[in-house]
Amino acid sequence: MRKLIRSLVLRIAQTIGTQIRDFESGRSLGRALIIPWRGKLHVIGLKVAVRPMFQPQKRLTYWKQEIVFAEYPSPDFPRIPQVGPETAGRGGSPEPPATRKLNSGTGD
Amino acid sequence: MSSVLNLISTHQSSGAVSRMIAYWERHVPRESIVVAYGGTRSEFETIEYEQKFFVDDPRLRTRDHQREFQSYTQLLQMAAEFLKTRGDQFQFVHFAEYDHLPLVEDLNERQIKMLTAEGADLLAFHVHRVDGTNDPHFLYHAADLDFINYWAAITRRPDPEVVLTMFGSGGFWRREAFCTVLAIKEPFPIYMELYLPTLAHHLGFRVRDFGAQNHFVRVLKDETDYIDQARKEGAWTLHPVKRLWDK
Repeated sequence: MRKLIRSLVLRIAQTIGTQIRDFESGRSLGRALIIPWRGKLHVIGLKVAVRPMFQPQKRLTYWKQEIVFAEYPSPDFPRIPQVGPETAGRGGSPEPPATRKLNSGTGD
Repeated sequence: MSSVLNLISTHQSSGAVSRMIAYWERHVPRESIVVAYGGTRSEFETIEYEQKFFVDDPRLRTRDHQREFQSYTQLLQMAAEFLKTRGDQFQFVHFAEYDHLPLVEDLNERQIKMLTAEGADLLAFHVHRVDGTNDPHFLYHAADLDFINYWAAITRRPDPEVVLTMFGSGGFWRREAFCTVLAIKEPFPIYMELYLPTLAHHLGFRVRDFGAQNHFVRVLKDETDYIDQARKEGAWTLHPVKRLWDK
């Protein structure tokens, strides 16, 4: 039942939602509902992975900014010459910090 | 002698596995095929094929793959061990799930040619960069700061924030990249579609996309009835083909 309701909501969002376009290319990315709620923007029905960003403005305005969306280009990173598997990783170890806890955000 | 190890994962019955191998033999040399089995131990024992290994890993046998962080790490590590037993015979690894069907007889040659032309270490389907996006798998992992911090700790690249995703049903690896990536212990559960390409990237390997072949690798609808048409349209492989081994 939940899946049915979710499918229905998605169908509605992708029918009556706003047309989302890639900010850089102008390509259509499909329709989605964008609903402000409790200080957040809820995006419903968008199928494509996009980055949200505030659109740069040629005219200085203090009262309005726009959030736009952009796709990443296809990954095309160069190969970094390998110096041997034993030196993989910044720390020079093939065993990255398997148990190292870098997240100290809890203050524990 | 083939320089490509064709690694096929399956959990199907021994009869289905036999039919699958017979089909694959028409596309790649038999001695290059290795079966990684994720079904039951008892069924595994009945598979009449010598190049096989049993993967005893609960993180392979997930039901809700994304939420349970399905992992291919152990499976691929076992394949890396198998590689070592064959010396330098295999310079490339082609991984495919049982329902990712080869369609052309020179598949491995095409894969090598494309990998070489791209200067890539890993060719995969639907490769995208997803950090900072609404990609659901990325967002699910980004809720854990360990995930973000991990790449910064191991990367050999200037931007530690890059996260890549690929479709998990198949990929083509240069041996060096495969063995280096699989020498790493998975630090905590990470969904394999993010873990493998992102780790390869941060270790300095070049991850590229199969481009036009993405069209023939889809998610949900069974493509068993679409095989001939896909071949005519230029497909090298097709996914998902679920019913071909049934009988």
